[in-house]
Amino acid sequence: MAERPLSPHLQIYKIQITSLLSILHRLTGMILYGGAVLWVVWLMGLANGKDSYDAIQKILLHPVGLIVLLGWSLSFFYHFCNGIRHLCWDMGYGYDIKTVRQTGWFVIIMTILLTMFTWMLGRTWGFIWT
Amino acid sequence: MVELRLPPNSRITKGKTYPSASKGPRMKIFQIYRYDPDDKANPRMDTYELNLDECGPMVLDALIKIKNEVDTTLTFRRSCREGICGSCAMNIEGTNTLACIKPIDEAGGEIKITPLPHLSVVKDLVPDLNFAFEQYASVKPWIQAADTPPPDKERLQSKEEREKLDGLWECILCFCCSTSCPSYWWNGDKYLGPATLLQSYRWIADSRDDATDERLDELDDPFKLYRCHTIMNCTNTCPKSLNPAKAIGEIKKKMVARVGKD
Amino acid sequence: MKVKSEKGVGHWLIQRITAVLLIPLSLWAAAVFLAYITAPYSAAQIWLSSPYIKSAVIVFTVLMFYHGYLGIQVILEDYVPNEKTRTYLIYFTRLFSFFMTVLAIISIIQIQLS
Repeated sequence: MAERPLSPHLQIYKIQITSLLSILHRLTGMILYGGAVLWVVWLMGLANGKDSYDAIQKILLHPVGLIVLLGWSLSFFYHFCNGIRHLCWDMGYGYDIKTVRQTGWFVIIMTILLTMFTWMLGRTWGFIWT
Repeated sequence: MVELRLPPNSRITKGKTYPSASKGPRMKIFQIYRYDPDDKANPRMDTYELNLDECGPMVLDALIKIKNEVDTTLTFRRSCREGICGSCAMNIEGTNTLACIKPIDEAGGEIKITPLPHLSVVKDLVPDLNFAFEQYASVKPWIQAADTPPPDKERLQSKEEREKLDGLWECILCFCCSTSCPSYWWNGDKYLGPATLLQSYRWIADSRDDATDERLDELDDPFKLYRCHTIMNCTNTCPKSLNPAKAIGEIKKKMVARVGKD
Repeated sequence: MKVKSEKGVGHWLIQRITAVLLIPLSLWAAAVFLAYITAPYSAAQIWLSSPYIKSAVIVFTVLMFYHGYLGIQVILEDYVPNEKTRTYLIYFTRLFSFFMTVLAIISIIQIQLS
């Protein structure tokens, strides 16, 4: 007898808000780990003196750098909001499926709003130094 | 790395098509996963056309009709046909549920039916659940009391104590939840999965059981319990509308409450 | 919390504790990063020369890498079935996170008004 096949899983299982938000939490977590490294680079630049600080700043404010920062901020706010959602579950709240869906959508909306707010604030704050 | 693709012997090929002999205004296409261990071929998807005017309302009715009238080799588990035995658990239209309580009308278009996900397939829609039941047995799903009661007395519970078991005792062990969980797919050899953990909590929450500490000791391991990442597919799919994720959350809370003690 | 730390309940709990502490700290760090990303060198230097700010930034960085390391560990445990490879990758992540934290702390201490 041939070896038994494995029944299909990822290939057939419907993508749901539950699993999608869960894998996004993981993905944004990994992006934020990369962001943490970027944070250390920024601190090192600051410690190293004006030249390296200015060089890093130039990269960060370059259009490519700004795209990275946009991804970073989206990831941060998603992981932040969904992290709070997870902490609520860990304390025993919000498990019924209707609430799970509502809080899931709430996290998505808050992520977008907070990111937009941050970039608007960033523009305003940017003018402080000029 | 985790294997996202199916192994070569498991990839699904195109199968046969069985058009319906009788025609009517309500025709429906069913695509059903077929695997025959006696031939060496890969699993395939067979297509069956049914006249719904001559068929019962549930997906299980359709499967029985196909087996009786079209293709007697179609193999699936079924028993009670009313959602209490858990035998006909399978993946219908991308989510796990019981075929007997899943109305055909709920699905638009073609209905795709595959076995419970990420299990080894014995034949057609029959997956091997031996290991899942072994895991279930490993949590000692019976009462463990410190004392033996007198033979003429019952172990009494208050109304409140009994209510703590609601939402737990109703589990019929169909394993829809466990096999909907990606974490169980990747680490099902070590992670116990939502069904077994809900059952475990059913005994942890039982006021008559005296083995709570031993049960929790047994679960304090990076894999058995803590592969649950609150993905919530389990609760989303449970055909009995139970909440395995919440039961697992309660176990985790009990784990934390023990930290620092002894 | 030496009891089975980083295993079972210990690992789970530390991940949550660091998460809770990071709620205010990360918001604060994000805000200052946002404020100083366009700042001239001298302004950033003045800001990070205060010992209070230095301590807060160090605490934040340590917690962030600890939380991040614990998260990556879980991911590796989930997706890398080969025990040897998995252990090796987890040690690498631990070492890398530690190295990054040390680099950050040294940099923060170095920053002073010239």
